[in-house]
Amino acid sequence: MDRRRLLKGTAVLTAAPGLALAQERLRIGLTAVILADQAAFLARWADYLSQRLDTRVTFVSRDQYQAVHDLLFNGQIDAAWTCGYPFVRFQSQLQLVAVPLYQGQPTYQSYLIRPLGDTSVTGWSALAGKVFAYSDPLSNSGWLVAQGEFARAGIGQRDLKRAFFAHGHRNVADAVASRLADAGSIDGYVWETMKLQGMAGASQTEVIWKSRLHGFPPLVATTGAGPARIEALRRSLLDMQKDDAGRALLKSLNLDGFIAGQVGLFDSIRQLARSVPGSGVST
Amino acid sequence: MLSRLPYRVQIPLGLSLAVVLAALLVTAVAAQIFARTARTETLATVDRAAQLLSAQSLPLLAADDIWRVFALLRNTAALLPGASTGQARAAVLDTEGRIFASSQPQLLKTASALMGQPINGITLPSPAKVTQRLRIDRPDGSMALLEPIRSEDGQVLGFTYIEVDAPVFAADWAALSQPALIGVGLAAFILLPAGWWIGRQMTAPVLSVASVIERLGREEPATLKQQLPHTEDRELGRISAAVEQLISEMQVRQQAERRALSAERMAAVGRITAAVAHEINNPLAGLLTATQTLSVHGGSEETRTRTLDLLRRGLNQIQTTVAALLPQARVEDRALEIDDFADVVTLAHPDVSHRNVKLTTAVDVESAIRAPSAALRQVMLNMLLNGVSAAGEPGAVHAELRADADRVTFSVAHGGKTLTAKALHSTLAAESGDDPRGFGLWVCREIATQYGGGFAVDETHLQGTRLVFWIPNRETHEEPVVD
Repeated sequence: MDRRRLLKGTAVLTAAPGLALAQERLRIGLTAVILADQAAFLARWADYLSQRLDTRVTFVSRDQYQAVHDLLFNGQIDAAWTCGYPFVRFQSQLQLVAVPLYQGQPTYQSYLIRPLGDTSVTGWSALAGKVFAYSDPLSNSGWLVAQGEFARAGIGQRDLKRAFFAHGHRNVADAVASRLADAGSIDGYVWETMKLQGMAGASQTEVIWKSRLHGFPPLVATTGAGPARIEALRRSLLDMQKDDAGRALLKSLNLDGFIAGQVGLFDSIRQLARSVPGSGVST
Repeated sequence: MLSRLPYRVQIPLGLSLAVVLAALLVTAVAAQIFARTARTETLATVDRAAQLLSAQSLPLLAADDIWRVFALLRNTAALLPGASTGQARAAVLDTEGRIFASSQPQLLKTASALMGQPINGITLPSPAKVTQRLRIDRPDGSMALLEPIRSEDGQVLGFTYIEVDAPVFAADWAALSQPALIGVGLAAFILLPAGWWIGRQMTAPVLSVASVIERLGREEPATLKQQLPHTEDRELGRISAAVEQLISEMQVRQQAERRALSAERMAAVGRITAAVAHEINNPLAGLLTATQTLSVHGGSEETRTRTLDLLRRGLNQIQTTVAALLPQARVEDRALEIDDFADVVTLAHPDVSHRNVKLTTAVDVESAIRAPSAALRQVMLNMLLNGVSAAGEPGAVHAELRADADRVTFSVAHGGKTLTAKALHSTLAAESGDDPRGFGLWVCREIATQYGGGFAVDETHLQGTRLVFWIPNRETHEEPVVD
C-alpha cells in the first residue's frame, strides 16, 4: 500500500545521479489520467527517458487538469499527459506527442460506477436526487461524458441532490466506495488498473454503464515547443515497447505502448463537447 | 467459615486475605479513577478535533470542495477515540445544517439534513440557535458537539459536528483489569508469603501458651514455666503472667498435698503399729502370768505341761498375728478348739482379777468347729478384754461360745454402760482413727468382714451391752454353702 500513497499537489522531481546531462532538462506534466502517484515508478520512468533523451527528465504532477495546462501554456513544463477533452478544447495551441495503447488500441471508455451492491442506482436516469462525483471539469470521462449522458437522460444539474469534483479518477472511485457519492463518472482505464492492483476504490464499486470508445488521453505539447526535443520525446515513448525496461514500465502503467496518433482519434470527444453547453468547444 | 479454622491458620490466612482484598480495592478505585479520567480526556480530544476541523474546513467550505472536506474529515476523525471501531464520526454541515461531508457517509449521508432533526432521541438545534460551541450529552451516555464555522468577519459558513457513541466512554474493564490483576498477582506473590509468615509469628506465642495450658497437671510445673513465651506484647504478657501464676499456685498446692499425703501415711503407719502392738500386747499379760505360774508351780508335771501348752498357744497366736501383717506370708492355721476358749479366759484372767470383775463363761458346741483358731482367739480375747474393761468395778462379764454346723458365734455381755448400734458404729469409725485402745473392736469387725460374718450390738439385750461376733463355720478355703 505504501507504493500507492498519494503525493498530491507536489512535484515529483527525479533524476539519475551522476548522469551526464548535455541539454536543459525536460519537464513533463502529469494529470489524473494515470495513477501517477507512485514515486518509485516515476523515478524509474524518468531515469529511463533521461538515458534515451540524453536529457534530465522530470515529472510534475497536479491533481487538476487546469493546473497542468496552466503550467504548459506558460512554459513551465514541456509536455503534458492530459485528457482528450482539453486537447480538443485547446487544440489550436497544442500538438500531439504520443497516444498510449490500451489493450492494443489508442482508445478507452468512460464508466458510470456505483457502490458495490447498491441497486438504487441503475443508470443515468436513476440519478435524480442522488449525490454524484465528477473527476475534473476538464476530464472527458470524468465530466464531459457524464454531461452528455445526463442531457440524454433528461436530468439537469439541479435534479441532482449534490454534485462535486473529486480531483481525480481515483478519488471518484474512493468517493463512491465510501458512499460519499451515490455514483460517479470515471476513466475506464484508471478503474480497470485500480481493479488490477486490488485497490479498495475499485473492489468496492461496480460498473453499471460504459461509454463508447474515445481517443485515449494523449501526451501533448504546445505548438511552440522545440520540435527536436518533442520529436526525441515522441521517439523515446514510441520505442518503449522495443526494450525490456520500456516494456516493464509500460506494464506498470497497464499500457501496451505509444503511437504517434492522429487528431481524428478525438473526433468523438469533439463531437460530444460541441453538444454540451459550456464545454468551451465551439461548433 | 474462618472462625472454624485453627487459630494458627486464622491469623495468617486473615492477613493474606486482607492483602488480597486491599489490592483488589486499590485496583477497583484506580480503575474507576482511570475511567473518569478517560471520559475527560475523550471530551478534550473531541474539543481539539472540533477546533481543528473548524479551522481547516473554512477555506474548503468557501470553495465548496466536498472531496477535500471529506479527506480532511476522514483524516481528522481517525484521531477521535472510538473512530477505529466506527463509534465516533465527524461531519461538516452547510449553513442550512445539511451534511456537506462526513467521515462516515454511510451513516451521515451527503446533503442530508441534520440540524433540527432528531438524532438518537434528541432533536439537534436549528442552525440559527447554534451561535457557539454546543455539547449535547445524551441519556444513553453518548455525546454530540456542534460548533459554528465562521469566516474572519464572523459570517457563519457552516458547522462542525462530532458525535461519539456511549461505548467509547464506558470503561474497558477487561483492559483496565488486566494490568491491575498482574499487579495484584505480583503483590500477592510477595505479600502473601510475608503475611503468612507474619501471621505465624504472631500466633506462635499464643500457641506456646496454649500448649503449656494443655500440659498443665501432666508435666513438671517448673518445665512448663520455662516454656512460657516471654514477650513484650502487653496482652500476651498478661496471659503468660496469669498462666505462670497458675503454675506457681499449682506447685504450692502439690507440695501441700505431698506433705499431707506423707503425714497421712505416717499416721497410717502409726495406727497399724498401735494395732499390732495391741494385738500382741493382749495375750502378753496372760503369758507373763503363765510364766509366773510356771515359776511357782513348775514342780508339778501337770502344771508345767499345761502352762507350757498355754505359752505355746499364746506365742502361736502372736506369731499368727504378726505373720498376717506380712503380705506374702501364708498363714497356716488350725481349727478352733475348746481349749482355745479356755486359753483366752486364762489369758484374760490378770485383767479380770485386776478389775474385780466376775467372769462367767458358757460353751455350746453342737458341731465340730472348722473356723480358724488364730482369728477367733484374737477376736475372743479382744472382746473379752473389752467387756472386762467396760463392765465397771465391780462388774460382771459373761462370755459365750456357740457353734453349729453353719456358724461360730462368740458373744460377750457385761452390765456396764449400754452401747447402742449407732454408738458402736461411731466407735468403730473412731477406732480406725486415733484411739489405740479401740483397735480391739475394730479388729473384730475387720475379721468378721474378712470371713464373711458379722460384728454387732445385740440390741435385745436389756441391761448393759452384749456384743456378738459370728463367722461361717468353715475353713478359710471352703466355699460358702449354698442353701
